[in-house]
Amino acid sequence: MPKILVVDDAMFMRAMLKKLLTEAGFDIAGEAETGRVAVDLYQELKPDLVMMDITMPEMDGLTALKEIVKLDPAAKVVMCTALGQERSVMEAMNAGAKDYILKPFNAEKVVEVLKNASG
Amino acid sequence: MKAEFINPFVTAGLKVLESVISARPESGQLAVRSAAFTTQQVSIVIGVTGAVEGQAIYGMSLVTATKIAAAMSSMPAMAFDEMASSAIGELGNMISGHATTLLSEAGYECQITPPTLVRGTEVEIATSTPALVIPLYTDFGKMEINVALMETGEKTATSPPRDTEKQEASDA
Ligand SMILES: [Mg+2]
Repeated sequence: MPKILVVDDAMFMRAMLKKLLTEAGFDIAGEAETGRVAVDLYQELKPDLVMMDITMPEMDGLTALKEIVKLDPAAKVVMCTALGQERSVMEAMNAGAKDYILKPFNAEKVVEVLKNASG
Repeated sequence: MKAEFINPFVTAGLKVLESVISARPESGQLAVRSAAFTTQQVSIVIGVTGAVEGQAIYGMSLVTATKIAAAMSSMPAMAFDEMASSAIGELGNMISGHATTLLSEAGYECQITPPTLVRGTEVEIATSTPALVIPLYTDFGKMEINVALMETGEKTATSPPRDTEKQEASDA
């Protein structure tokens, strides 16, 4: 099963995602609450997938995405963002994100997008 | 501040609340509040930067906040603990994220900062302009949206407005 790095500054979102992903059969490689920590953990844990929030302190998700793709052009990063932030989503897709999920999300959609991105 | 700046927050608030608590809230009367003191037990403060700058503050009672957090967590009930605070902060993030997209589409390109949660009333929030306030009434109680935004003169080219935006602008 793919190992996922869950990145979100909100403890609530990390908890929801970990529960949902574990139930869907994914392994949680680790979690990060800032973009900076996400980049460090990406190198350390080498996850199969990254679920990346956009608005975070220290380093936002777009910057972290770009750094991860620079380190590993084959990185599979799925953005997770507030509904309506199409502009950020477009920038992320151009920067190498595989797909995106809009919050508030539904569980089936998250699992479907991640399964496609990991394949 | 311009009344048009609060409309995107009302549109976004109605949409996000409807999605997280599965019932459409009603918006109430617009008011102006000159002093930026919190009037609710729980306030989520989110900074806005860019072509408009200032704050969006979402205030509610502890009971309302706890009920919304429980609904977001798919739990029948919960205490207002760290997890519930985080859920409520995320609610503010989702509303503000959507609202700033609508503002960007209206030509005011802006970004948001991560949420800060303030507990207690009469806490002063430093704002540089009077706030516009609109209550949203949900099945779980009232959420007050306070928006204090000023133009910074960096208005960008206007992209075509979306239908939802036009519609809410006339309601609010
Ligand atoms: Mg966030």
